[in-house]
Amino acid sequence: MNHTMIRLPSIPQSLLVAVLGLLPLAMVAQSPCAEYHKFNCDRSSDKRFSTNGQSKSAAVQVGQETELNIIIYRGQDYRISLCHDEKVLGEKLAMRLVEKVRVAKPDPGPDGKQVFEESEKVLWDNTEHEMSQEVEFSSTSTKRIAVELVAAGGAEDVKSKGRSYDIGCVGILIEHMPTPGLGF
Amino acid sequence: MQVTWTIMRSTTYIGGALALLFTACGGAGSETPETSSEQTDLVIGGDENATGASAMYQMPTPNELFVLVRDLAGEGHKRMMNPAGNVDRYVTLTSRALNFGVYSTDLVYASYFKLNVEVARYYLTTKKLAEGLDLSSAFNDADFIRLESNLTKGDSLEVISNEAYMKAYEKLQNEKMGPTLSLVLAGGWIESMHLVIRQIEAFGESAPLMVRVAEQKVTLEHLLQLMEPYSTTPELASIHAELVAIRDIYDRVNVKRTPHRSGSVSGRMVLGDEMTIDLTPEKYAELVKAVDALRAKVTRPEDSTNA
Repeated sequence: MNHTMIRLPSIPQSLLVAVLGLLPLAMVAQSPCAEYHKFNCDRSSDKRFSTNGQSKSAAVQVGQETELNIIIYRGQDYRISLCHDEKVLGEKLAMRLVEKVRVAKPDPGPDGKQVFEESEKVLWDNTEHEMSQEVEFSSTSTKRIAVELVAAGGAEDVKSKGRSYDIGCVGILIEHMPTPGLGF
Repeated sequence: MQVTWTIMRSTTYIGGALALLFTACGGAGSETPETSSEQTDLVIGGDENATGASAMYQMPTPNELFVLVRDLAGEGHKRMMNPAGNVDRYVTLTSRALNFGVYSTDLVYASYFKLNVEVARYYLTTKKLAEGLDLSSAFNDADFIRLESNLTKGDSLEVISNEAYMKAYEKLQNEKMGPTLSLVLAGGWIESMHLVIRQIEAFGESAPLMVRVAEQKVTLEHLLQLMEPYSTTPELASIHAELVAIRDIYDRVNVKRTPHRSGSVSGRMVLGDEMTIDLTPEKYAELVKAVDALRAKVTRPEDSTNA
């Protein structure tokens, strides 16, 4: 077999380093995280749970708060679980469930009309639950919920490589079922 | 683990799904918290010094609502849906997107209420509108053949119609078609409200159904937040204003919040407070009137006059 050797034009080493350094960012820009939760998050062992269409994946930066706003319905049980790139984002993500409520201000506006504002109420915080990466609950009324996430970051050697290495994929898997009764 | 949570957020990306949702609301204007302040952190307003966080929005898919309504309201009726024959009469992008939301909601409604012939009809109708919105990949021929072969299997139709819905939804999200997605979701919310109201008319008022209508307040607030980045664009300004007017009606309904005092019947923890809603007959009538007017406006063929 004949092998043909091709001599490439020389490329300045600094340019090569710069181009290679940009590759991780370019890969993130192509949105490799879009379906992360579909292939990486473990479903509940309780087969009564169905995957909820509000499940979502996203690229998350270390230290940057990310939130997924969803609706939970009255009369449903939910399971929300996380999966993520541990090497980049760290072993555990901090997660809170925050209810958003539209409330009237006590005083009317200049035109005499009632003025409303958003209030936020922390309903669950995994830093108070051993950093659990999943939570199950019942919903007895329909609510707007924000699933808030913060990643602490991975190993120091990864962190030291710079900003382009501090973005990783996170999947938020939401499952639901009608609230089942106990007993016979 | 030490975590610093910020309060103020900038919405950098809008996601979403069809808007069909339900929720609690109340009457003469405000929510009445009865929760003791010691229970949770309550933060109102924003921290001006906080860094912006990335916020994504998702809407429940129509099937979530219709499962709940089906259990409460018996059978469905095809006369409640937007006539499939109108599909060619929506010309502008805005009208197509709104009615894509309407028809895809009708498709899911038909599949959940076992209107099997209508499922096929509305699949093709929705597909036709999808082609004008660059969403045709969500409705391929193989899926339609699969759908036809399952016309006698209601559960399979639910799965297929939901899959089509989700494909269209994800394409709108992934390709950052925010204004179009907002219009689709708005059309879906309006149609879902219309369908539930008609179900109530057909089967009579029941407390659980009325609660579902009242709880649409929450999903409408969610939808409006999702639409906010595009609310002043020419395509969205009108529909956004009309939805805000409906929210104003909801704002005048009293909502009372009370701490949940016992566990869930499933044994899981209960998340958040109970809400008691006071949707009076007068407020309900006002709501129905506003939704009917908006639905008529959205679904009116563009080649017909207002007369």
